Amino acid sequence: MSSEEQEKGYKSGLIRSLNPKGFNLERYTYMLHRITGVILALYLIAHIFEIYHVGLAVLNNNPQIWYSTLAELSSLGILEQIGLWIVAGSALYHGANGLRLILNEVFGMLLGKPVLPEYPYSPTSLSRPQKAAVYIITAVVVALWIWAGLYLLAGLGVI
Amino acid sequence: MKIRIRRFDGSKSWWQDYEVEAKERDTVLDILLKIRERQDHTLAFRHSCQMGSCGSCGMVINGKPSLACQTRVLELKTELIRVEPLYNFPVLRDLVVDLTGFVGKHRAVKPWMIRRNPEELEDASSEFVVTPQQNMSFVQFDYCIMCGLCDAACPTMALDPLFLGPQALAQAYRYVADPRDEGLDDRLEVLDDAHGVWRCHFAGSCSYVCPKGVDPAKAIQFLKKDILKRRLFRSKKESSSPATLPKVEKVPDNAPHPPPFDYKFEEVSQA
Amino acid sequence: MEQLDFDVAIVGSGLAGLRTAIEIMRKDGGRGKVRVALISKIYLMRSHSVSAEGGTSAVLFPEEGDSFELYAWDTIKGSDFLADQDAVWRFVHLATQEIRLIERWGVPWNRREDGRIEQRWFGGLSFPRATYAQDKTGFFEMRALYDTLLKYEGWERFDENFVTSVVIENNQFKGFTTIDLRSGNMRFFRAKAGVIATGGAGQLYRITSTAASSTGDGYGIAYNAGLYLKDMEFVQFHPTGLVPKGLLITEAARGEGAYLVNRDGERFMKRYAPSKMELAPRDIVSRAIMTEINEGRGVRDEASGLDHVWLDMRHLGKEKIERKLPFIREIGLKYLGIDIVDQPLPVRPTVHYNMGGVHTDINGNVQSPSGPVRGLWAAGEAACVSVQGSNRLGSNGTNECLVYGYIVGNEVYNYISNERPEPQSASPSVLEAEERRIFSEVLGRESGGEDVYELRDELKDTMEKNVHVYRNEAGLAEAVKKIKELKQRYKNIRLSDRGRVFNYNLQHALELGFMLDEAEVIATGALLRKESRGAHARIDYPNRDDANWLKHTLAVKGPDGPQFSYIPVKITMWKPVARVY
Repeated sequence: MSSEEQEKGYKSGLIRSLNPKGFNLERYTYMLHRITGVILALYLIAHIFEIYHVGLAVLNNNPQIWYSTLAELSSLGILEQIGLWIVAGSALYHGANGLRLILNEVFGMLLGKPVLPEYPYSPTSLSRPQKAAVYIITAVVVALWIWAGLYLLAGLGVI
Repeated sequence: MKIRIRRFDGSKSWWQDYEVEAKERDTVLDILLKIRERQDHTLAFRHSCQMGSCGSCGMVINGKPSLACQTRVLELKTELIRVEPLYNFPVLRDLVVDLTGFVGKHRAVKPWMIRRNPEELEDASSEFVVTPQQNMSFVQFDYCIMCGLCDAACPTMALDPLFLGPQALAQAYRYVADPRDEGLDDRLEVLDDAHGVWRCHFAGSCSYVCPKGVDPAKAIQFLKKDILKRRLFRSKKESSSPATLPKVEKVPDNAPHPPPFDYKFEEVSQA
Repeated sequence: MEQLDFDVAIVGSGLAGLRTAIEIMRKDGGRGKVRVALISKIYLMRSHSVSAEGGTSAVLFPEEGDSFELYAWDTIKGSDFLADQDAVWRFVHLATQEIRLIERWGVPWNRREDGRIEQRWFGGLSFPRATYAQDKTGFFEMRALYDTLLKYEGWERFDENFVTSVVIENNQFKGFTTIDLRSGNMRFFRAKAGVIATGGAGQLYRITSTAASSTGDGYGIAYNAGLYLKDMEFVQFHPTGLVPKGLLITEAARGEGAYLVNRDGERFMKRYAPSKMELAPRDIVSRAIMTEINEGRGVRDEASGLDHVWLDMRHLGKEKIERKLPFIREIGLKYLGIDIVDQPLPVRPTVHYNMGGVHTDINGNVQSPSGPVRGLWAAGEAACVSVQGSNRLGSNGTNECLVYGYIVGNEVYNYISNERPEPQSASPSVLEAEERRIFSEVLGRESGGEDVYELRDELKDTMEKNVHVYRNEAGLAEAVKKIKELKQRYKNIRLSDRGRVFNYNLQHALELGFMLDEAEVIATGALLRKESRGAHARIDYPNRDDANWLKHTLAVKGPDGPQFSYIPVKITMWKPVARVY
């Protein structure tokens, strides 16, 4: 296979990987988990940049450096709050879903036991306990996310 | 009824529509055969057993990887059926994909019985003792027909061509879970790797499309658990041992038959 | 033509082919001295052996009343005394070892509570000795063998290589020619030893339990190379094929206690085999079902227009069905929407197995009119030793593949390591002629207008109509005439797919050529055999005729059609008696 074709295959692979249409519920959680993971990673990079300015301020014994960074951030206005809200949602979802995955992968829970498959086959790893966990996580995350949104809006003085 | 097939002749690919009459019991494979035999001899696809046990006719039907021979047309409930070659596999012609990498990955996980004493595998004097309950721990994963649907459905496979994939990993677990096998340590090098079990992020699509109920996702999560236990606690599983049977006289390979004798045959009736 | 050099070339990757390869590898012990090419026209693990369902017989519990004598007697009586008794005697002894070996390689046999292997009843047995893994026995055996073979180095797989001929010169095997479907080019596998393990030819019929790949290419290449085909007129009809296509509903269903009932709800087997009932051998049950249908006691399936009887498993209960017959339930649900837990299945006889095959001696060594062929063996359904005689017992098929895989593997290894044969080149003219035959005369033909699939359908219809469970003089003569006509028309086929890569059109055309040869041998052999024995039932000669016909049929290619000769059956233990069940 030429590198060009490989590149093409790779790109379509990325789209297919993130498109859960027609597949199972867990595929959607997989997609969200990956996307929120990327958001958190980007946020962490930005965050390190922010902390770096704290360090600069301490090293140079010049708090002004930090204040100006804060001012720059505040100048984003509502965008900063929206950004934080998205980061909060990502963290909530990634964390909660991550807990479910730990139950799955480390403790082998929510998967059922090895069985004699019975036609029409419905895999036990995707059946009731798993689905229940997904729904509970979604409900909790959405509730907390709304709360976080309200909190942020309150911080802006809107509410 | 209309069917739209993704075709490929080695250089270019295109969609081609066919109009076919479908009967109530027809499967997608029946439709494809009708097309090949009556309309277009050049349509290339694999098929063999026609009853869902050989795994030849895996293809993507209406966006879902399926076996053509066990997908009934009427159950699809669509006016237009869209058929594509399996995702995540290089296409050779029309619906025929290259399985070389796929079988290679399967072989890489050492999917065979491993005993610390290899001679136990060559001894035909008795069987291992395995209770029906122990049998249950792995027989589900032995249902795999190697059709490749799981690898085609796997979103991680779409991004990482080196990922072993659900088929190979589930087959590794099939032996790891077998009470007769003692080979987890031999397989760790391949499995405990960035492209091994840890690449799996549990989208579950493999289990969703599996036509035989193998549930590869379950197998892979159990495999992760077993590997962690082995690495963290150095735990070892208990394996079953060969049955001890009363010694039966060994028959030489080329056993001469006894001289003709009068054998009184009595009908044994079924109880 | 690309030439590849190997010590052993095995065509066919089903149970027999895999078992042969494993045995050679085991004997070789990883020294890499013997290099094996495993050639298959489909992918490994796609072979039709995966569809074997019911079980594999072996004597495992002598302490409970089973014995080798009993097993041999069952097999010989089941074969209607056409089996070679010395071969059967050896066969029943080796089966035990095979069951236990593949158990150690991973087959998940169903178990008793104490952890030992469980066995069940099967048709024609006098002890429940069919060892089974649910109702996917063949599949699990294939899995275990395939997986075990992967363990070894020193063999190479050639998937999707369609074998077109076996090259034999001066009674010495030289190699196989194949078409690599992937590239469309021809290859010559030059080898010191060859094994034909290509399976049967169920695709000659329309209603068949066999896979699309079961076209009996091994019979075709052997016949065209001037080798003997033995006992080809004996075609086994499995009594219970699912209407309409004939998908296999395992005999184990009856082994577990299923009933066969006609339209009046009567268990009609009591009129045909009062003591064994549904568990009579396959030929008897198939004839019983066809008689019921012919006499108007069948049920009409509206969608397909086929008559059938019912296979009733309702009284077995869901738990037993799930544990022992899950695949049958799956098939019913999948293809007809019928759950066997609360509805009976519509079944009728379906083509299942060829008792005949390439003529071999007791060691699997292929025989030609000028004596044993040096360096060529055959195993499994492709071979005819004959262990199965005129009717194979259920659960002896997978068994023969395993046992003869073992025997042939040993023979081949000993031949290579003891006799140290030199690789022999085939004369270039032979290879050129083969290449010309395929590329110019089949693929490249510009004239003519016969269609491969039309011819194939006509062949299937002829066989289905005239060479079925019941046969008669007029029908068989008509079939022979029709096949000869089809063979003429076959010379005029024209392919519409002219490409090289995965040209299935070409493969089907070549398969059809072999199928026409096989059909001719089967129909002519059946026409000549003026008696009823095992699976060969003539309406005009309803009785077994031991005085004239206790002999094997041998067919060899002549200038215009097959020429027949006969050899005696080896009777070493039991004289033929009336076969009553």
